[in-house]
Amino acid sequence: MKAELHEISVKFGTFCAVNNVSLSFAPGEIHALVGENGAGKSTAMSVLFGLNTDYQGNILINDQLRRWKSPADAISAGLGMVHQHFMLQETMSVLENVILCSEPVNKLGFVSFAAAAKSVQNLIDSYDLQIDQTQKVGELSVGQRQAVEILKLLYRRSEFLILDEPTAVLTPNEKEELFQSLSNFKASGKSIILITHKIDEVMMIADKVSVMRSGNLISSKLLKNTSKNEIQQNIIGGSLPKPIKRKQMHPKDISFEMQKVIIPGLATRRKPISLKVYLGEIVGIAGVSGNGQGPLVEAIVGLRNILSGNMLLSNENISDQDVSARRKIGLSYIPEDRQRVGLALDASVLENSCVSQMRNKQFSNGYFFNLQHLCKFSEQLVSEYDIRVGSVKSKVRTMSGGNKQKLVVARELEQKKQLVIAENPTWGVDIGAINKIHQELIKMRDMGHAILLVSNEIEEIMGLSDRIHVMANGQLSESLNSDQVTANKLGELMLSRNEPALSEELEMMRP
Amino acid sequence: MTQRLYSLLAASILLLIIFASLIWLADADFFKSISAFFKGAFGGRKYAYLLVTISRAALITGMAIAALIAFRAGLFNIGGEGQLVIGGLASAFVAINLPFGGPAGIFLVLLAGMIAAGVWAMLAGIMKLWLGVPILVGTLLLNYPARYIASYFVSHPLRDIASGMPQTHLIEKSLWLPLLPGTRLDIGFIFILFVFCIVLIYCYRTVGGYEAKMTGLSIDFANASGLKTKKISLKTLALSGAIAGLVGAIAVLGIHHRFTDGMLVQPLYAWTGIVAALMVSLIPWAVLPAGFFFAAIHSGASGMERTADVPKEIAIIIQGIIILFVASKVPTAFNQNIGNGK
Repeated sequence: MKAELHEISVKFGTFCAVNNVSLSFAPGEIHALVGENGAGKSTAMSVLFGLNTDYQGNILINDQLRRWKSPADAISAGLGMVHQHFMLQETMSVLENVILCSEPVNKLGFVSFAAAAKSVQNLIDSYDLQIDQTQKVGELSVGQRQAVEILKLLYRRSEFLILDEPTAVLTPNEKEELFQSLSNFKASGKSIILITHKIDEVMMIADKVSVMRSGNLISSKLLKNTSKNEIQQNIIGGSLPKPIKRKQMHPKDISFEMQKVIIPGLATRRKPISLKVYLGEIVGIAGVSGNGQGPLVEAIVGLRNILSGNMLLSNENISDQDVSARRKIGLSYIPEDRQRVGLALDASVLENSCVSQMRNKQFSNGYFFNLQHLCKFSEQLVSEYDIRVGSVKSKVRTMSGGNKQKLVVARELEQKKQLVIAENPTWGVDIGAINKIHQELIKMRDMGHAILLVSNEIEEIMGLSDRIHVMANGQLSESLNSDQVTANKLGELMLSRNEPALSEELEMMRP
Repeated sequence: MTQRLYSLLAASILLLIIFASLIWLADADFFKSISAFFKGAFGGRKYAYLLVTISRAALITGMAIAALIAFRAGLFNIGGEGQLVIGGLASAFVAINLPFGGPAGIFLVLLAGMIAAGVWAMLAGIMKLWLGVPILVGTLLLNYPARYIASYFVSHPLRDIASGMPQTHLIEKSLWLPLLPGTRLDIGFIFILFVFCIVLIYCYRTVGGYEAKMTGLSIDFANASGLKTKKISLKTLALSGAIAGLVGAIAVLGIHHRFTDGMLVQPLYAWTGIVAALMVSLIPWAVLPAGFFFAAIHSGASGMERTADVPKEIAIIIQGIIILFVASKVPTAFNQNIGNGK
């Protein structure tokens, strides 16, 4: 199936999200669409898939002009999209999920599951997918769930697959499996669009690469006619930023320590976690998302009770303290999920910037707050961290992802607490904001604060940390010095523990 | 904003058309009905009807404030009715047994109503924190025991048997809320205005109001920022209940001078208050006009029935339609507590 976007423009108010973009997609081709967050890739694809119907320009499918009223139109024309966040019913089986909304029905109106199972199994076999269709989706790993999403598209006979950041949640192994399947699809003549911001993946699998930057199409070339360097420069529009300089530090005072802590919710309960963070260093925790980093951070911040062990913050035992007590002793926290945890989206910038300091002397007398000081304080944050917003009275919801994240980082770092927990602090923000946030974290470290950086991005961990732990399957590795470790070694550690941990779980389940 | 204005205009026109056709169905004169409506709501000899509207508006606005305070903290307290009844009953009980009257007595009676209703509202919070019963369910279910407890008390231990009705004895005159000079309007509405001002300050200027709002907007955000959300929820529920209790006490001391079974339930003060709060999307200052609006509809309907022979129920139907319009807007009021998209 051939598809073409012809001079597409999408405007949100006065903001031009996609500006006069023309792209063509051929059958049997993997077409990578790359660019920073906010470059307009997802918006362009949502036009193609019928999610966004308010655009200028034309969509051509097999040289015919089409205009979708909704995604349902696009799906019936043979398009399919796998979203970054899966849309599956966890309590239903793989088969039920796959046939949902397009069930084969017999004359009496009953669903003929046997026929459905047979055709689904055919698909699984012919594309060599690693799924058991009788399993409940809730029991599947993230990679398998993604395979189910793809299976859904195949079952609906989609000839044109759009995958939005498909590897963001996958382990390297799962990624390889996915790429294998994609190659199979390609061989069978399907068109595939890969929306991504990871260049290595593009180099590995794409046939054609299109780069978007701030709503414009910068280049669209066959992979063999371009280079990694060229793509990279097209993405950021210029040369790469210089590495950040850091001061030589000699950390010797412990800021935070975990002594044999057992955290509920981690896969391996019997392996306690021990961890030290010194003042004046950044300790990185690397790992594929979902290997226990979330519960670990929650336990440190005080959002999750621990089962046993001790946690010391500046020599005080904080194991039984609540969040506000821990923050008072000296902790600040940049949460991963800025939409839900980091910010109250429907509150103003001002309200968001003062939340944990409201009871401090300058901010209030305990009953009434000092509105003048609050305004001054939040205006100062906005200007120091270059947060782009109309006024501090504007709702946070109106800001872009990068500006939201800068606000969270500004608020937490401005408290100058001795320990900073940064959980994926640059997730989903543009490169300018990433640089700013990295600089601020290094600055905190150079000023002698302790920083615990939890991140899924190996480059970020390697670039910022002094020491690195790897978290896999709920276990923390020994600490590694960052100047002695390679990305490959980290990647290995991220996966190596899978099997022993699994057998241990099985052992625990035995009576 | 302009779009909002248009939809408001469209809704008003639609409402007027429905109103006109209902009056036509009732076989009455349209213009006569309209003028009777406005006279009933705002007119009368020496503005007597306007005073009735104000008195009713005070109760509805009070209940709207009670709802608003809880809603903006993310606590869907729909148990205003139960809290209102408990507050009224407790104040009637204290008023009957109090050996002295005057301002101090009135103060004590109002306080008793507030405390009882505050504790009653907190029960729902305790059920939530220790048993996991959702606030919405807990507060709703607590309406029923409140009503029947009140029914029991006024039918048995506290009953004024001679009156032949399920009601308490009349309260000592010295405990009645004084009337505004030269009118039949008691000063209860001033208490409500006072509460309204306090609540405005609470919402816009105090740490407590701020923290409650943050908790309502995103509980995860509040927890991670170190706010003591459990304490905030309990305090807010108590506050919301106390205001409902005050409304009950004002109705007892100012209007009825006794507690009669069903007197606070039948006029739907609590539910109208909830609708009024939701209609203005929980904007604190706007609950005052909203409360007045609903009170005016009720008084106007009575006027229409008296002079234009239009059944009162027609106004109630109109109110129902307004509620439907509001209901289609309610999702936005609730959504701000969920937070979706980027």
